[in-house]
Amino acid sequence: MTGLGYAVDAVAVWLSGSPAPGWIAVTVAVLLVWVAPLLAIIFPVAALGQIVERKVAAAIQRRHGPNSASLEGPLRFGFRVLLCFLPRATQDRAFQRFLKLPVVRSLLPILQKLGIGQLAADGIKMLGKEDIVPRGADGAVFRLAPYLALTGAFLPFCVVPFAHHLVMLEVSVGALYVIAVSGVTVLALLMAGWGSGNKFSMLGGMRAVAQLVSYEIPVGLAVAGVVLWSGTMDLHAIVAQQYRPGVFTFVGWNLVQSPFLAMLAGVFFLAGLAECQRTPFDMAEAESELVSGFNTEYSGLRWGMFALAEYTEMLLIGALFATLFLGGYQSPIGEQWIVGLHPLLATLLHLGIFAVKFLASLFLMVWIRWTLPRYRVDQVMRLCWLTLVPICLVAVFGLAVQLVLAGGTEAGTAYGRLAALPRPALGVLGHLLGWAVPVLLLGVLVRIARRRHGGMHPALRQLTGGGS
Amino acid sequence: MTIEAITLGGERMQLNMGPHHPATHGVLRIRVESDGEIVSSCIPDHGYLHRSIEKIGECIEWPMFVPYTDRVDYVCAMNANLAYCVAVEKLLNTDPATAVVVPRRAECIRVLVAELNRISSHLIAVGAMAMDVGAYTPFLHGIAQREHVNDIFEKLCGQRLTYNYVTVGGVAFDLHETASEEIASFLDQFEKEMVRFNKLITTNTIFRDRCANLAVVTAAEAIAWGLVGPNLRGSGVDWDLRRDEPYGLYGELGVRVPKGERYAGRKGAVGDCYDRYIVRLLEIQESVRLCREVLKLLPPAAGKANDPIGGHQADVSKVLKRPPKGFVHCRTEAPRGEMGYFLVSDGTKVPYRVRVRTGSFSAAGIFHKVMRGIFLADVVAVIGSFDVVVPEIDR
Amino acid sequence: MNGMTFEAIAARIAQVCDEAMVVRSENGQPFVRVPAAALPRVAALLRRDPALLCDALMDLTGYDRLKYPGNEASPANDAIAVVYLLFSQQHHHRVMLEVQAPRALCSVPTVSGLWPAALYFEREVFDLLGVQFVGHPSLERILCPDDWVGHPLRKDYLYPAQYHGVPHLREGQHFDGAPRRQGDPEPTPTPAPTKKGHP
Repeated sequence: MTGLGYAVDAVAVWLSGSPAPGWIAVTVAVLLVWVAPLLAIIFPVAALGQIVERKVAAAIQRRHGPNSASLEGPLRFGFRVLLCFLPRATQDRAFQRFLKLPVVRSLLPILQKLGIGQLAADGIKMLGKEDIVPRGADGAVFRLAPYLALTGAFLPFCVVPFAHHLVMLEVSVGALYVIAVSGVTVLALLMAGWGSGNKFSMLGGMRAVAQLVSYEIPVGLAVAGVVLWSGTMDLHAIVAQQYRPGVFTFVGWNLVQSPFLAMLAGVFFLAGLAECQRTPFDMAEAESELVSGFNTEYSGLRWGMFALAEYTEMLLIGALFATLFLGGYQSPIGEQWIVGLHPLLATLLHLGIFAVKFLASLFLMVWIRWTLPRYRVDQVMRLCWLTLVPICLVAVFGLAVQLVLAGGTEAGTAYGRLAALPRPALGVLGHLLGWAVPVLLLGVLVRIARRRHGGMHPALRQLTGGGS
Repeated sequence: MTIEAITLGGERMQLNMGPHHPATHGVLRIRVESDGEIVSSCIPDHGYLHRSIEKIGECIEWPMFVPYTDRVDYVCAMNANLAYCVAVEKLLNTDPATAVVVPRRAECIRVLVAELNRISSHLIAVGAMAMDVGAYTPFLHGIAQREHVNDIFEKLCGQRLTYNYVTVGGVAFDLHETASEEIASFLDQFEKEMVRFNKLITTNTIFRDRCANLAVVTAAEAIAWGLVGPNLRGSGVDWDLRRDEPYGLYGELGVRVPKGERYAGRKGAVGDCYDRYIVRLLEIQESVRLCREVLKLLPPAAGKANDPIGGHQADVSKVLKRPPKGFVHCRTEAPRGEMGYFLVSDGTKVPYRVRVRTGSFSAAGIFHKVMRGIFLADVVAVIGSFDVVVPEIDR
Repeated sequence: MNGMTFEAIAARIAQVCDEAMVVRSENGQPFVRVPAAALPRVAALLRRDPALLCDALMDLTGYDRLKYPGNEASPANDAIAVVYLLFSQQHHHRVMLEVQAPRALCSVPTVSGLWPAALYFEREVFDLLGVQFVGHPSLERILCPDDWVGHPLRKDYLYPAQYHGVPHLREGQHFDGAPRRQGDPEPTPTPAPTKKGHP
């Protein structure tokens, strides 16, 4: 146990006052040290994800997006709650003082334009809404589902390394753990769909199960490919292995290490999109078909939990993508200088770089959502089983062949205890083969696609601005 | 694997889509019976928006019915106005004593507004279809362009949705001074915008795969089931009333008529949803061309409203008090296809019977046939591809 | 139009149906009046005959002749006229048929077997004018609710005083449906309909 694990031990010891703390003390310590800060960070970021979504959508659709809700109301509310022991006039005076602060005065309009006010207003609105449980619903199942969804979205973050040794649980089977616990979401969606007592919800729930279970396979295979390459399931070790000394650190990233890994990265991202039920794979919600799918009957905070779970999962996919393929928290250039900095500064820099990476993924997902139409159920399944899974199998096989051909490993050079980890090194032959196979495969795929679609009709060429 | 290959067995699920389902384009209710995701039968239920417009027509005077035609189809109110006014003029012209000559400038303005409204109506149609398939952005881009058309109309007649602009014998107001330039500049930017729109959604592979070979209606079926307009042309029938039974100025303009040609390529079939969709887009292009043509033909305005060339309104107040007795059937090409008026007059100032035959009504009639054996997700796409507008069905 | 002329079509119809009558309306619009019994024959001819081939049913509608002036002498004075507007997409010619159904026993054979488009049109005519289309597979109301009383487009239709407890007229409001024409009888107040009053 490393990293925060020591902190947990220390807190547990301090809480219980004995060197061998009981399970209550350990639990409380875990909650204090691991869960609370992570919740405090992940969920607000996920909520911000919603604003990112709305703003990006607005930009794509040439609108302004949320920009009118002032932050004053929520802040005044906050003041009233915080200063509830003071008379009303004093509260108001304090609030006016606060508003006149130059920082506040200059910042508030910007935040309002960015839609943060809308976020706050939505949050308050959601808290105040009635929690409706339909008469036909299965009460317990219906009520439990949002919590489960949130849990399923949150648990995988326990093993994601945010910076060097800044990871909740440094388990040696991190990759396996992520795939295992994210499966809880399936159960949550099924419960929501089934428990609502609504046919649209049930269809959504059923679709969600079929889709999520299917897409676990390409996700799993993509992760397996990385594990094969790295020889470890420890996410922290996988990150560390992508380290290269020198200016151009990014040459060590899995994405560019082998074309097969690049293929797996693409599959992982697509399947990840499907895992978090985003367009073009948003079968379970499909608002134009199923009203709102599995969460049709939810209102207020429970609905909010589902929304939060969705964004949390998007963040998770982004974080995992960065971890597995983009060198995790490492900078693309000059990582070795960051390592040499003061640990606190390095950690902060790493956190920032990691945030940029997964926010980029988030942006990409949002972009895709507001650009593409939705697949049909059968097309989603076909894409999974007939396209993504075979690509994964080919890539994993190719990777294995590459590793065998390479035959040798070079020693890693970074990060303390990981220093001696073996790392695959490809000879010339390995690289040649590595790039030849995917290029050929791509050619064949393009050929098939061309033949299946035929030439574009001249009228379509004309409609898209080409000559007729 | 075709859908037909999946046998429909076991217990069926009754699913109520509408009348307040997000994708049923107004208050259309469809009773869907499905086996899981596959629809085994689909029965539309109409009447939620029935406002007895035909009954109202029997209670009010001839020109007073024009605002009601706006409500027959509020997505293309100009065309709905025009359909009624052309029909009444045809009735009046059956007797030389009451014949009306619409001023030429008014005819030009009529074509102009009808084609602009056709553009804006088709924008809703293609945008809503994209939205039904899950792409939200194209719809908003289409709406943005529709707003420009509405701006033009608002300057023209003060209204943005129900215009009450075309009147029996002409149009209510002359074009404002800068209208021609505004329309021309709108058309220029609109054409560029449509290229972007088409690049965004029309040629998108997912969209094409969703719509190709879906709800195929053959030409013979389309005719027999009474499909009209873009739905009929989407099935490959080369028929457009503007060209084949021209009214107003259309005879001079030479309308080019697109028809379904399996635009989706090898995966598609003539008369599938994608063909209907593309036909609408091609009609938008044609409307743009017609608008430009008409702007060239537009005679200068005259001082008098009833000037036979430069005026905008023939005087029909007297003849509408005593129209000829008898009946007339007149059909015009609205965006949702043939809008046929069957007018019966008993020689008084109040119509004896006003019958509106609309495109959406017969399009809704074919739903239960084409929606058998398709996926639940495609039900909304099919509704979208037929471009039904519920007020037009229910009237 | 470059198909057959109206006269040629009418002559062709007369070959299969002696009772078919060519009529011109007051404003000179020609149509063929066919007795209800002969409609299936005439319709089948128009639909199937290669020279006629009226494959499109442009419209199927009707109107109540009860108050139509100048028809007092005619025995069909108060009949419901069902109008068939046919068009040939092949030959581009059109023809209008009219069938007059007595309002008491208002039934006309269906043509939905020949033109599926008639499935909806006939339901609408049934709903609004109360014409029974014999042989129609699902002759139900289409625009009005299933339990609506009466057929609104009939000229002697009186608005129900209330529908499921919702009054049609507010207190002191006077509206009797159509504007009064000369010679119209004074509208009589309608008794409240029974809940499932539809015949």
